[in-house]
Amino acid sequence: MVIPEAARDAIDAAIGRYPEPRAALLPALHIVQRELGCVPLEAARELAAIFAVAPVEVLELLSFYNLFRVEPGGRHRVNVCTNLPCSLRGARALLRGLEAHLGVAAGETTRDGRITLGHEECLGACAWAPMLRIDGDYHENLDLEDAKRLLDGLE
Amino acid sequence: MYPRLPHVTGYLTEHVAEDDFVTLEGYRARGGWLAAERALREMSPEDVVDQVTASGLQGRGGAGFPTGQKWSFMPSDPDGPSYLVCNADESEPGSFKDRLLLERAPHKVLEGILIGAFATRAEKTFVYVRGEYSRAADVFESAVEECRTAGILGRNALGSGFGHDVVVTRGAGAYICGEETGLLESLEGRKGMPRKKPPYPAQVGAFGRPTTVNNVETLAHVPHIVANGPEWFRGLGTEESPGTTLFGVSGHVSRPGLYELPLGTRLDEIVFEHAGGVPGGRKVKAVIPGGLSMPALPAGQLDVPMANESLRERGTFLGTGGIIVMDDTTCMVRVACVTTWFFRDESCGQCTQCREGTGWLHKLCERIERGAGEDADLDVLRDVSASMEGQTICAFADAAAWPVQGFLRHFREDFEAHVRLAKCPFPASFEL
Amino acid sequence: MPTITVDGRQVRVEEGRTILQALDDAGLLMDGVDVPHYCWHPGLAVDGSCRLCQVEVEGLGGLQIACNTPVADGMVVHTTSDRVRDARAGVMELLLVNHPLDCPICDQAGECKLQDYAFEYGAAGARTREPRRALQKRVPLGPTIVLDQERCILCRRCVRFCREVTGTGELGIANRGDRSVIETFPGVELDNPYSMNVADICPVGALTTRDFRFKVRVWFLEERPGICTGCARGCNVWLGVAHGEVQRYTARRNDRVNGSWICDAGRLSYREIAAPDRLRTPLVRGEDGVLRSAELDVALDAATRRLRELIDAKGPGMLAALASAHLTNEDLAALRRLLDRLGVDAAGLTLVMGEGDDLLVHPEKGANAAGARAAGFGDPAPILERLRGGGLEGLIVLGHDLLHPTLLGSPDALDDLATLIVLDTHRSELERVADVVIPGRHLAEKGGTLVNAEGVVQEVAAAVEPPFPATAQAEVLDRLAEALAPRLAQAGGDG
Repeated sequence: MVIPEAARDAIDAAIGRYPEPRAALLPALHIVQRELGCVPLEAARELAAIFAVAPVEVLELLSFYNLFRVEPGGRHRVNVCTNLPCSLRGARALLRGLEAHLGVAAGETTRDGRITLGHEECLGACAWAPMLRIDGDYHENLDLEDAKRLLDGLE
Repeated sequence: MYPRLPHVTGYLTEHVAEDDFVTLEGYRARGGWLAAERALREMSPEDVVDQVTASGLQGRGGAGFPTGQKWSFMPSDPDGPSYLVCNADESEPGSFKDRLLLERAPHKVLEGILIGAFATRAEKTFVYVRGEYSRAADVFESAVEECRTAGILGRNALGSGFGHDVVVTRGAGAYICGEETGLLESLEGRKGMPRKKPPYPAQVGAFGRPTTVNNVETLAHVPHIVANGPEWFRGLGTEESPGTTLFGVSGHVSRPGLYELPLGTRLDEIVFEHAGGVPGGRKVKAVIPGGLSMPALPAGQLDVPMANESLRERGTFLGTGGIIVMDDTTCMVRVACVTTWFFRDESCGQCTQCREGTGWLHKLCERIERGAGEDADLDVLRDVSASMEGQTICAFADAAAWPVQGFLRHFREDFEAHVRLAKCPFPASFEL
Repeated sequence: MPTITVDGRQVRVEEGRTILQALDDAGLLMDGVDVPHYCWHPGLAVDGSCRLCQVEVEGLGGLQIACNTPVADGMVVHTTSDRVRDARAGVMELLLVNHPLDCPICDQAGECKLQDYAFEYGAAGARTREPRRALQKRVPLGPTIVLDQERCILCRRCVRFCREVTGTGELGIANRGDRSVIETFPGVELDNPYSMNVADICPVGALTTRDFRFKVRVWFLEERPGICTGCARGCNVWLGVAHGEVQRYTARRNDRVNGSWICDAGRLSYREIAAPDRLRTPLVRGEDGVLRSAELDVALDAATRRLRELIDAKGPGMLAALASAHLTNEDLAALRRLLDRLGVDAAGLTLVMGEGDDLLVHPEKGANAAGARAAGFGDPAPILERLRGGGLEGLIVLGHDLLHPTLLGSPDALDDLATLIVLDTHRSELERVADVVIPGRHLAEKGGTLVNAEGVVQEVAAAVEPPFPATAQAEVLDRLAEALAPRLAQAGGDG
């Protein structure tokens, strides 16, 4: 079993909040990803058993929703919003700059396993563009130097 | 202090600068929860629906459907549970208003939820918050917990005898879950693929039960309508589009941000007076008035009131009120590339026209931008976007087609210049 | 019953159906009223995603998909208007944007709905210059099915089949939008007793069976109606015939019998027809005890002589017949005539019982078990009892089902018989002890009438000629009866 006991309890609790157990599948994926850093195939198989669905249905969710991943990637996830409001204010130039700074292309992880760099669709921070998200926290109104400093400060 | 406050506030955003407004105590101290008390204790569900109908409140999630009418579709004597769903999956590029309300006025949204749930006889509300808004979800969950403890939610909400609970569900990154039936699928633990209609959510919604889906901002207006009456609400905004809304202004403006203004405020007033116009002495080239899925307007057409009845005449819509401003350096083909990329990325892939059309539109725009376009490509863009319009399960394909149609309608010369010169003629434009 | 008008034609429809279902119910769909469709399938729930079946409904603005628009009395539907044709052309153009157009090497070519509808509704030339999706061309989904991701148009019929019909759920769709592909979970193959139906319902060449892949171009196939003889369901099949041989079975829709499906075992049972162990020649045991091939006339003479000697010596009471549940009503009637003429009462049905399921597979392994019972061929136990106890001198056996472990198991108990006449389609252990063995025809080679487990009487015609001389069982039996008749007439006179 790769899903730890505590996570299983949290999943059970989530199941109790909905009229149908399956509704807790997305919450369960969040719980597993928080515990394990990703949702590996073995965990997907275990979730399928818990929710009595075909394993491929869990796999479908993992590739349909952007936030889930089947491999852990870097210790930090840095995502630059590249949608129009951010792009108008230089988001793509920022992303290029960060690619050069880290020596990886968007979608890749630095060799030291520190950062997985990516781009993301609109994060609802359009007025404070460009911006990026580091592990869930927003950093707004950035220029390239700000952003480099932020990334350099990551463990 | 919270760093991202509205530049202009109104009844919705009053107090959002004050940190304790997110707490139950702080909200109560500023008159909060009185409207819900009144609705639940002194009014019938029909009274509430009537008031909201009379107010003329239109949904603020993009479609602008009359809220009272939507509520009236719900069964008055259901044979089982009914549900309210609060659509907090704000994902429309250019929109960031619901995030503010969730993070800075959670009790106001909750109060609207409780009133709406009472009016629609819903036993539970599911608040579906987009996964990226984890902070908003945390803040909102704390508010829910406070209300449970205080007896505002629970078996006997506000001592009224009406039982209600609120569950916060986090999305996981898919724009399509903002579509109400895509949201319901996602809420039920599936891929957010919109449902074919009929049946409609008021008949078969969440978990097979009658369900109303309302946007965050829509619900936030409700306590004010109950507190001040429909006449007061109708005194704001236009005859057809009453009330204020939260306009989000982004792109090439001096003061990007949120502005709570009455519906019907002119677009040029918002862009030039409130948001300070385009910086650096440049001129406006284009403005998207309602989030990325709405057709853009050229600089000469900004003298339009921001209300659907007026925008419709210009071939566009209010959408979510996300105003994206582009200056005269901007290459509209690049804008089309970014736009079509987004819709290609986010199409759920269910309907043929949307799945294949979004990809084709994007490839066409990219090729034109690269300088490899032909005259005929412009016709293909037009035809493909026409094939996508009005023919799919949900409005996503329209949302993907309309902006392209808008770019072609008003900025065709940008496309033609790319073809003629076999390169992008806007070297100073934002980087792709 | 509400009535709707479709292209000026009045159609009476059942309440609660959608336009497409109503047309299908009336037998008009694609046979009088052309409403092309990909995702809709009569055996699956309405999906509404391919958007090809759009029609115009008076009073409803815009185009409606026929598969999900409920009928209402007085509804007026147009399926051939310019608007409808334009919309279909739009959908077809979009479906072809990413299609590899590899028809020359595609197994589906010739029976491909994408080809058909593109021809009917599409434009002559492609307007796309963009690179098409480059995906996997050969993904084995399991032991029976291979996927070509590039050809897939994502109608999801296969995915829904595995969820709605078999409940096995092996298939899903990975990713979103135009990156969507059919997928399985690593280590969980598409492997269920009905898996090959997904190839039948795949409207394009994305899913093909390993069995039929690259075997023969479908335009060389002539599709002839047949019935699977594997079990008492009597599923309807199409026999794909080329070069005089049955190359495949596919499911033939019959909502009273098998819906749109057949099981994999039944589908592959076409192989029995041209199997290497087919009985190709009559066999007669000589004085030296060796079984040798013989002409049919010789074999019939030998059988006649042996039966006559037996009845003369021991009377008809020492003779019995066992019939297989694969025989047609016509075969069984001929057997009954023969037995009546011989005065033989002991007749039984060698019905093999096996596994069944909730969908189609019936535990009675034989397509005409009900027909045989109705013709008076019942429980074989008394005959088997007598065989084991040496209480019989002669036996006529049709088919070799009695060798099944649940019946006789081995031919040893037949060793002591004075006379054993076998009519069969395939070789078996019976040859060890038989005196005369006569080859018969497979259902596909003779046609006939069968009664399935629900009592549905079904008749099919012969679809192929056997590649060796074989005579329908009924004819063999009638010839035997004919040959034995003078003796019988005389015996009758004696009585």
